[in-house]
Amino acid sequence: MDALSVSHVSKTYRQKKKGAVPLQALDDVSLTVKPGEIHGLLGPNGAGKSTLISLIAGIIRADQGKIEVFGVDVEKETEKAKVLEGIVPQEGVYEMAFTVREVLYYFSGMYGVPIAERNPRIDKALEDLALSDKADERARGLSGGMKRRLMIAKALIHKPKLLILDEPTAGVDVALRQKIWELVRRLRDEGTTILFTTHYLEEAEQLCDRITLINHGRIIKEGNLKEIQKEFSKNVISFELFDRNVPHLPNVTPEGSEFHYPMKELEADMQAIASHYNGNLKSVRSEAASLEQIFLTLTKD
Amino acid sequence: MQNLTPVFALVAREVKRFQKIWLDTVVSPIMSMILFLAVFGVVSGGRDVAGIPYLAFVYMGLLTMTMVNASFSNPAFALVIAKNVGTFMDLQITPVPPWGVGLAYAFAASIRGIITLLIALLATVWFIPISGVANPLLLIVSVVLIGVAFGMLGVIFGMYAKNFEALTFVMTFIIQPMIFLAGTFYSIKQLPGIWPTVSLFNPMHHAVNLVRYSVTGYADSAPMVSLAVMAVFAVAIFIPMQWITTRNLKAS
Repeated sequence: MDALSVSHVSKTYRQKKKGAVPLQALDDVSLTVKPGEIHGLLGPNGAGKSTLISLIAGIIRADQGKIEVFGVDVEKETEKAKVLEGIVPQEGVYEMAFTVREVLYYFSGMYGVPIAERNPRIDKALEDLALSDKADERARGLSGGMKRRLMIAKALIHKPKLLILDEPTAGVDVALRQKIWELVRRLRDEGTTILFTTHYLEEAEQLCDRITLINHGRIIKEGNLKEIQKEFSKNVISFELFDRNVPHLPNVTPEGSEFHYPMKELEADMQAIASHYNGNLKSVRSEAASLEQIFLTLTKD
Repeated sequence: MQNLTPVFALVAREVKRFQKIWLDTVVSPIMSMILFLAVFGVVSGGRDVAGIPYLAFVYMGLLTMTMVNASFSNPAFALVIAKNVGTFMDLQITPVPPWGVGLAYAFAASIRGIITLLIALLATVWFIPISGVANPLLLIVSVVLIGVAFGMLGVIFGMYAKNFEALTFVMTFIIQPMIFLAGTFYSIKQLPGIWPTVSLFNPMHHAVNLVRYSVTGYADSAPMVSLAVMAVFAVAIFIPMQWITTRNLKAS
């Protein structure tokens, strides 16, 4: 059984403005997340990531298609599916007047955690997220990083089987990002399935077992990151030039200080590059395509 | 059987929330009531209504008004605040069913209404010529019913309203006229023409009538009819509350 199964889901938003064209946020989207994996959902702004997360969380209704979390239909058995999910939204969401402990106490109750179990779970979550000394402070007084950790504690307090993180490291410092990565890996090792969206492709490369690339509401690539990289790395030769302003071979694209050449056959193409650029060639290599290169290639309009 | 822990937890969270801001939620309405009583105490000049001192008569209306205002505004403002600061998402992602969200807010509203009523009572009853409670059981049933019913009305408007302006509009143009035309400050029997009959269609009249009858033994209209009307009002209002809550928690 898949941890998450999204099958042929479409979603169009009607526009309030009269005569405005409806916005198709998702178009026949299907993806699966296997139990125990870290799955990255990547895409540019407006690609449909947040809509997909909202559908999985049961916050909005799909126009068509089916979403199942560990075999539970999100549309038909919404409450049952929600118990299986833990959501970390992009923005901090908590009662301003409550202390950290109170936020977690009532939130865990809303997930059905019995009263007797709440405080031990809160203590554990606060310890895991290095917030124990802030337990009795008001949530609104926490620093940005602590608020982000509180949001993660909220999502974990009922021990979800599927943890959904919507850009969990956006705007956090490097040290906290590393801690969040550590936590995500540990949760995966303990058996929690993780779906997260991110803008940081390096983060996806570091963490994800599998990724899904989404653009304009459609899935454009899904699979094992290493396999995708392998697929794309066959096709790229990267080189640097002493003088960049020279006539280029067809299909050469600049990226930073480098140029990329779509490769068909390594030896012949290397020779073509060497003879075309001759003494102007500073370095040349064939390497695994970075996720950034793959992302840019696939999302190029 | 459905696990009710999420619903009870939400009730507890809402009670905790209004306890945290008790100056706004409890003290302010009591101050308003004391001011009303001071004014009515001065102007009543020893008049009575159907043999009851006017101050005692209007006191029951004021207590009911204070409680209704507290019960209505608690969920209404809490939900609009939640939408504005983002905590509404807590309701959307947790497994509290829509009926549970609506009823949790309504019960918490009822608790706030009753606490406000009790504190108002303790703060002012010493100055009012009342000798006792005529029908304590009916008073308890009525107070709970009124709190839950107007709490559900507050949920409806809280779910509907996107901002505080919309709520202020509702308070000014719906709730306040309901209170002032309910016989809160006068007996509806004193009204001319068809207005006594029109007042019978105002649920607020039946709320005031029930509380007044329970304490003083005087009623403008049959108390059991008022009890039935409040019960029907509470059941009837559950339907639109359930509809709008479901719609808000899961947008189409």
